[in-house]
Amino acid sequence: MTSTQSNPIDPVTLTVIDNFLTSTCRDMGVTMMKTSYSPIFNESLDFSCVIFDPDGQMLAQAEFCPSQIGTVKFTVTWTLDELGLDGFEPGDVVVHDDPYRGSGHVPEHMMLKPVFYNGKIFAFVANVAHMSEPGAKTPGGLSGDATEVFQEGLLLPPVKIRSRGKDVPDIWKIILANHRTPKVTYGDFRAMLASLDLAEARIIELLDTYGEELVREASRQLMTISERRMRAEIAAIPNGVYSFEDAIEDDGIGTRDFPMRLRLSVRDDDIIADFTGSAPQAIGPVNAIYAVTASAVYNAFLHLTDPTIPRNEGCYRPFTIIAPPGTIVNCSFPAPVAGGNTETSPRITDMVFGALQQAIPDRVVASCGGTSSPFLFGGTDPRTGDLYAHFHFEGVGWGGRKGADGNDMVVTINGNCRNTPVEVFETRYPAFLIDSYRLLADSGGPGQWRGGLGGERVLTVQNEVTVSALLNRMKTDPWGVLGGDAGSRGGLWFRPDANSEWRTFVDAFGTRSPSKFSGITLESGNQVRIVMPGGGGYGSPADRDPALISQDIENGFVSIERAERDYGFQAGMGER
Amino acid sequence: MESLPEPSISLGIDTGGTFTDLVAFDAQSGQLATFKTPSVAAKPGQALFNAIQGSEVDVARIAELVHGTTVCTNALIERTGARVGFLTTRGHEDIPYIQRINRKTLYDLQWRKPKPLLQSRGDCLGIDERMGSAGQEILPIDPDDVAAQCAILRARGVEAVAICLLFSYVEPAHEQLVAEIVARELPGIPISISHEVAPIWREYERASTTIADTYLKPLMSTYVDSLTESLAEIEMRAPWTIMKSNGGAMKAAAAVANPIQTAQSGPAGGMIAAAALGKQAGEPNLLTLDMGGTSADVGLIIDGAQKHTTEYEIEWGVPAAIPLIDIKSIGAGGGSIAWIDAGGFLRVGPQSARALPGPACYGRGGTLPTVTDANVVMGRIDPGNFLGGRMTLDRDAAEAAIAPLAAQLDMSVLDLAAAITAIADENMAGAVKMISIERGHDPRRFTLFGFGGAGPLHACAVARALGIPKVLIPIFPGNASALGMLIAERRVDKVWTQAFRSTQVDETQVAQQFQIILDAALAELRAEGFTGDPSVEYSINMRYLGQNYEQEVPIALDGAIGMLETAYRTFEDHHAALYGYTIENEVIELVSFRVTVRGSRPPIRLSVEPDRSAPAQRPGREVFFRGHGFVSATVWDRYKLPLGSRIDGPAVIEEPGSTTLIEPDMWAEVLDDGQLLIWVAPETEGQA
Repeated sequence: MTSTQSNPIDPVTLTVIDNFLTSTCRDMGVTMMKTSYSPIFNESLDFSCVIFDPDGQMLAQAEFCPSQIGTVKFTVTWTLDELGLDGFEPGDVVVHDDPYRGSGHVPEHMMLKPVFYNGKIFAFVANVAHMSEPGAKTPGGLSGDATEVFQEGLLLPPVKIRSRGKDVPDIWKIILANHRTPKVTYGDFRAMLASLDLAEARIIELLDTYGEELVREASRQLMTISERRMRAEIAAIPNGVYSFEDAIEDDGIGTRDFPMRLRLSVRDDDIIADFTGSAPQAIGPVNAIYAVTASAVYNAFLHLTDPTIPRNEGCYRPFTIIAPPGTIVNCSFPAPVAGGNTETSPRITDMVFGALQQAIPDRVVASCGGTSSPFLFGGTDPRTGDLYAHFHFEGVGWGGRKGADGNDMVVTINGNCRNTPVEVFETRYPAFLIDSYRLLADSGGPGQWRGGLGGERVLTVQNEVTVSALLNRMKTDPWGVLGGDAGSRGGLWFRPDANSEWRTFVDAFGTRSPSKFSGITLESGNQVRIVMPGGGGYGSPADRDPALISQDIENGFVSIERAERDYGFQAGMGER
Repeated sequence: MESLPEPSISLGIDTGGTFTDLVAFDAQSGQLATFKTPSVAAKPGQALFNAIQGSEVDVARIAELVHGTTVCTNALIERTGARVGFLTTRGHEDIPYIQRINRKTLYDLQWRKPKPLLQSRGDCLGIDERMGSAGQEILPIDPDDVAAQCAILRARGVEAVAICLLFSYVEPAHEQLVAEIVARELPGIPISISHEVAPIWREYERASTTIADTYLKPLMSTYVDSLTESLAEIEMRAPWTIMKSNGGAMKAAAAVANPIQTAQSGPAGGMIAAAALGKQAGEPNLLTLDMGGTSADVGLIIDGAQKHTTEYEIEWGVPAAIPLIDIKSIGAGGGSIAWIDAGGFLRVGPQSARALPGPACYGRGGTLPTVTDANVVMGRIDPGNFLGGRMTLDRDAAEAAIAPLAAQLDMSVLDLAAAITAIADENMAGAVKMISIERGHDPRRFTLFGFGGAGPLHACAVARALGIPKVLIPIFPGNASALGMLIAERRVDKVWTQAFRSTQVDETQVAQQFQIILDAALAELRAEGFTGDPSVEYSINMRYLGQNYEQEVPIALDGAIGMLETAYRTFEDHHAALYGYTIENEVIELVSFRVTVRGSRPPIRLSVEPDRSAPAQRPGREVFFRGHGFVSATVWDRYKLPLGSRIDGPAVIEEPGSTTLIEPDMWAEVLDDGQLLIWVAPETEGQA
């Protein structure tokens, strides 16, 4: 190994320290999973855990939610800038959710705690978690027709929720008074605090074992190593300027599309992702703040490069992201942003793959279904009289890649959340009965390597409930690459009862958008059908192995009619 | 048994992927004997037959046999089980395919979602029926519909049927009815029913467990037949049982009825041995390290008892929620391969050279450097005395395998060998940390129990890294699983899932339900062959109302008023100890209720008498220690060491199945049962 450092630390010690920091982040997550209240936390694991140095450089993270991991570096930097290192005392914890101060969107709450050692701040431990109820205009937030960030939840600038180890009651009171489900928020906040305490103790243990200087130096060297490795990976991509364009369909307010344009320059070991030319920001909540756009680009490259590179600040150094202010990829205050993080983010990541399909055809994937299908609901639990709220999301088909079909029904690339099991869902939220939850045949984009299947879920309302939605890919296609075809689009449907025809929410309720709206009240017996898009195909369908087509037919992944139409398949072709 | 006083020999036989180990204990003489023979994949009964024959045990004197088997483990890994049909609530046929929609790791575009243990999605059929979350019937079942689905399954050629309906863990009536109809319509086809196999909430986890169980049924049935036949051939008439993953043994018929219970049969045996031998040595609190060829298993024993869990995965994302002894497995074994990642970091495992081609020093064609090769190069393993001299290792081949990596990192072969063992040790120490520190246990208050073929070689280094003061090396560390089978008790775990709130729970109803599952557990224990007086333990899984994960809280079900109040206080104490806080005045939710019945057996003292016919000391040799360089070490023949001997490190203690390494500044004592207790020097300041 070459190193410009005078005293490179031996690889064994570096590995041990890196593993220790990463496993600390992982254990923070386990603590949150085991103690939190909302299913979005403990079933879906929609949170992330990170460790930073006092300069705001990320030292380590655990693998939970990629969009949060990229965004949190902006959230932490902003917090440190705003409060200053002198603003922290031992035992302090700061809470923060303001997108115009670096948060991904309002539901995502960050908590940050300094780790003092020998009287000085050695590191910060932080977690970011999606609160199921942020106090927005409609239950669960992510209101699909919000027009200002103020409608998306209670905005919290970085404020201390705990000071010198003691709760700050006034802050707790303000937050709990503004969330519809204060008990759930309280339980989730306690889980976040416990996770920070654990991480603090673990880092002090590490410092006691190895000494402050060695750990600081090791962290520095790990970041240098990560940067060097990331640069070596980029250098292996042919130099050039690669472009791609996609669009976010409507914004819940108007009907026009919002094109996003990417010019990706690979120059030796640097990447410049330039979004100049993208649409002006939307009135509705599909805008990405700069941190979300940057995070989505990082996410693409972390997927394209060696997964053993230690995940720290060094990974991000080769990247320059240009996103003009006032656009859909870098919106200005006070535009609403909720869907930027769930919807626009995975689309930006996919655009990087689309742009690079000619440069590194063996490594890219086709578009995934590209929506988290946020479907929010809330009401009063008839069993207890308490208010409840839930952020429900869905998986999608993933794009085909060289050598394998796309995965069926997996959450989009900006997250890695688990679904809420039907049995947990109905126990927690008696508003709905889930009639079906299944894969959708023929939804995967045809290709040499087929796109993964999307699915559908049909729900029957059991008692009055208020719903909101912020879906996508109902008017635009999950595109294929290198000759592959698009996967099928998603959908959201309503009918008054099981014997009626399915209608769009525009037809049934006069919403401006079929996919984005808020605050619609449904009654007992009504049904909702959520359709999740499939993934795009990779390579020409004509090159698909007939044996695979036969298997698809046997498994019911592809119908005979579509096999004939899309692949020119004839019975007997795939038999061996 | 009463009519014939002679049968006094207990046998434990553990069939692994590579070897079948036998341990025999004669209650009359108190003597232990061991034997090792290759496993026979094609005819599993053959290895047992060979082991018993080869050990020269008098078959007529066998009192009983407990058998551990990897037949199910391997079938799950290699996907060689039955073609399973899956019956579920209509609309939810894709439960096994949708899974939990998350992915194994971030940032891997090549990752493939795990396939269920099913041959075709067409084998998944829905039934018109529905229960609600409170167990209320929403849609009644139509028997004709079930029969129609059976006809489809028959036509498709399924060999076994798994039944998992929504909310069956609350109300099993529909599932029971479906099972009756399937039994009638598809006679002779094995059936597994989810509320029986795993009465837990979360439909995917329950379905996956049920599918795995039925997937193994035809195979286990054949396996038991093969064994029965082989045992009959040698006229073995003693009762025999199969080891379950929870550390209990069950009759063959029970294993055929619920084969998924044997998925972690072998490791369970090792944990039983650890608990018993620890107690015998006065060490009831152990961290266990079982290091074999491909993996290392670590576990925790507190006050002589193993920890139990139901979180097991066949592979990532394919759970089998069975009661099992809590063991964490990592890819660190003698065969783990050292490599340099793209960033120039030295890494060890998880890829393994396995038995074939094996480490380079085995001379079977392996060229990649493994942990065993590093040990040979460092002089820690004697190439001329491996497996008691039955195999000679090639030191030059080991060096040649390590040399290219050493050149790449600009290190000497020896330094690199030392780094390989150090990283393997760190990996294992990390796994030990996960089950100790991360669960609130301070490793410094435990003794490390090192076993498996390679455990005794690495235990001292792992202990040193974690500040563990003592290491215990059992007798026959390479055969510990079989040893554990000898002494395994009978054990049945039963669970009842029904959520209550602490504000609304009826103590009388809880007591009644406990009685129902207790009766079921006792019946199963009797069916497994236990005739004595069982011990019973009760516990309730609790959480704060709103939380999703529970803590198991033991309770005394003695009919006293206020048993639940005591349990709530215990829960809060646990929560505070684990997470540092409690939530005042919060409602506590009671989620599931567990009973464990255990049929203990007369304790056996396991010991070895030293062979005094020859001196224990062998010629010394130079052994390489990181931070010390080459040091002259004494070398000893383990079972010739007089009881009570003290051996000062650096020293190597050899025996046929394993090698114990005592580092400089440590010393070992031969206990009065032949176990080795090693005193680890306190960690000196500063890192090497």
